[in-house]
Amino acid sequence: MTDVSSLSGTSREVASKLFRARAHSVEVEARPRAEITHKPRKFNPPMPKHYYYYLMAPAIAILAFISLYPFFWLIIMSLQDVDIGGGEWIGLKNYTKLFTDARFIDGWILLAQYSVMCLGLQVGLGVTLAVVVNSSKYEKYLVTALLMPMMMAPAVAGLLWLFLYNGTFGWYHWVLQSAGILDSASILASADTAMYAIVLVDVWQWTPLITIIALAGLKRVPRDQLEANMVDGASPLRNFFAIILPNLYPVLLIAVLLRFMDNFRFIDSILVLTGGGPGSATKILPVYLFEVAFKFFKLGRGAAIALTLLIVTILLGKLLVRVFEKPQGGKG
Amino acid sequence: MATVTIRNVWKYYGETPAVKDLNITCPDGSFVSILGPSGCGKSSTMRMIAGLEHISSGDILFDEQRVNDLAPKDRDVAMVFENYALYPHKSVYENIANPLRLRGASESTVKERVEGAAKLLEISHLLGRRPHELSGGQKQRVAIGRAIVREPKLFLFDEPIAHLDAKLRAHMRGEIKHLQRTLGTTMIYVTHDQLEALSMADYIAVMHDGELQQWGTPSEIFNNPVNAWVAGFVGEPAMNFLTCGIKGEGDGVSLMHKNFEIPLLPGQVRQLNGAAQTGVARMGVRPDAMSISMTRPSEAAIRGEIFVNELLGGDMLVEVELDDCRIRVKTTPEFAGKPGETCYLTVNRDKWHVFDAGDGHAYF
Repeated sequence: MTDVSSLSGTSREVASKLFRARAHSVEVEARPRAEITHKPRKFNPPMPKHYYYYLMAPAIAILAFISLYPFFWLIIMSLQDVDIGGGEWIGLKNYTKLFTDARFIDGWILLAQYSVMCLGLQVGLGVTLAVVVNSSKYEKYLVTALLMPMMMAPAVAGLLWLFLYNGTFGWYHWVLQSAGILDSASILASADTAMYAIVLVDVWQWTPLITIIALAGLKRVPRDQLEANMVDGASPLRNFFAIILPNLYPVLLIAVLLRFMDNFRFIDSILVLTGGGPGSATKILPVYLFEVAFKFFKLGRGAAIALTLLIVTILLGKLLVRVFEKPQGGKG
Repeated sequence: MATVTIRNVWKYYGETPAVKDLNITCPDGSFVSILGPSGCGKSSTMRMIAGLEHISSGDILFDEQRVNDLAPKDRDVAMVFENYALYPHKSVYENIANPLRLRGASESTVKERVEGAAKLLEISHLLGRRPHELSGGQKQRVAIGRAIVREPKLFLFDEPIAHLDAKLRAHMRGEIKHLQRTLGTTMIYVTHDQLEALSMADYIAVMHDGELQQWGTPSEIFNNPVNAWVAGFVGEPAMNFLTCGIKGEGDGVSLMHKNFEIPLLPGQVRQLNGAAQTGVARMGVRPDAMSISMTRPSEAAIRGEIFVNELLGGDMLVEVELDDCRIRVKTTPEFAGKPGETCYLTVNRDKWHVFDAGDGHAYF
């Protein structure tokens, strides 16, 4: 086949057709190339190890200054009786005193109540909203509208709701009062209802986050699995629990982790709305911590509370990851 | 077990019709293949039968029951998806058991049926695994297991073996066909692979552009295509088409081309009646309905020049250049012609086809 010269006259035409593509490529090959004037440099020449440490040193220094130094200072502080003037070494006394501090224990209980209510409502509402938004043709507009509360600074949100809850001119107060749920006192003024008020604000502000995350999760639920399950005989509700929810677990884990850690940290709106009151009805642990450290300036005790809070947050986070990562459903 | 009747079914996506006035009746217990290129409406048709797509107009009936408004779960069909659609968070056992569980079967029935299905498909040893631990062929068996475990009225297979490698695909073709014979359940099998349709189905529905082109047994589709499109789509290597003039009257009609003039067989002249007036037609010849030789066997032989030889193992495919086109001929590997040499083709006139030059319908 390749021996063109052996072919007769007409077959040479055939051969030229056959080899046209090849002749073209030869032409391209034959074009002069740019002169290579230098040897290409080796990209990753091996370097001694200390070279890399030098490269990282500035970053480590900055990190140490803004993050590690305060953290270790916090630990040291928690072992001292610190006032504005200075500290006195008291060992673990700050910690042991916590166990007999009723308001510390109450703070934990209230924090647990607050966090569970917030998370439960936010996940339930958030996923439901995500399903509704996902099946709506106005999805784009709904998402934009949903994002608005999240854009607001928590303290501003607190002020806004303080206004809405106001017993004299608050619109929500008027609605709740008209519905017979409240009497003339503001929802924030009663120890029985204040907790619900701050939960509502958190739910209002942060449910959209769960919705957005769940919406992203819904987009990647495999359609063929849904359809297979439908043909297998599942109703829409069973389809939701058998296919959609297991596919949402990984993203919900992220959402729940974020929100639960936020609940342990964000107290801006609570400080604005109730400041922990009435009485100690909304004095969840971070609020109490704020009070101890920055109202009474018991910085050593505050540091001990903060560290306890940090350790519990880490442990709970690990536990959550473990629970959610366990494969769902199925036997064997 | 059910007879499936598709009656005047249309499917629109927005303004675009995907299925146009489809009429098919799949006899009870038969293996029906819907064959067509991608975008021909075959998958839409299957999804309408399963209840996953809304039927724009027309009716789908299982036996005498109109199922248009039934939810998928109430239609008693089982479907195997192109991507298997296994539930990744469930074990193989639970995947297969899913349709039974959803219908509230007792634990002992589930166990018995799942193990029965697994045994039939030779996947008993995989029951404890999860889908991500399986190979493509194993996943596909699990998907089939999930379909057969419930003994539904109707099987719907949507290109189930398209993603397997060639050897496994050939193996699974036989297995699926055997399975359908064993179970005796009506099966509708969507594919774009004409070889799958020809080798497995009792009946083939060939679709193109949303329209049913032809309904028939594999041999009818292959030997008597109703139009040039079906003739060109079915068969590998594809049929050769040549635009020819028609010459002569009465019994002496022949097809004229720059390179040849071949008289029609007496019976075929009558069938060509209509085209004789237009004076043009398209001749269609399959590569294996011709023979090639280096010497002129008769006056009616087609003279051409060998363009290229392709050896396909047991056969040789020769591409022959005529004045204005190339045609392919199947011959034996012993054929000695070389590219550039003159050769002669003899058409087996019992097996050739003539199509209308305009709309492409077949005269014979």
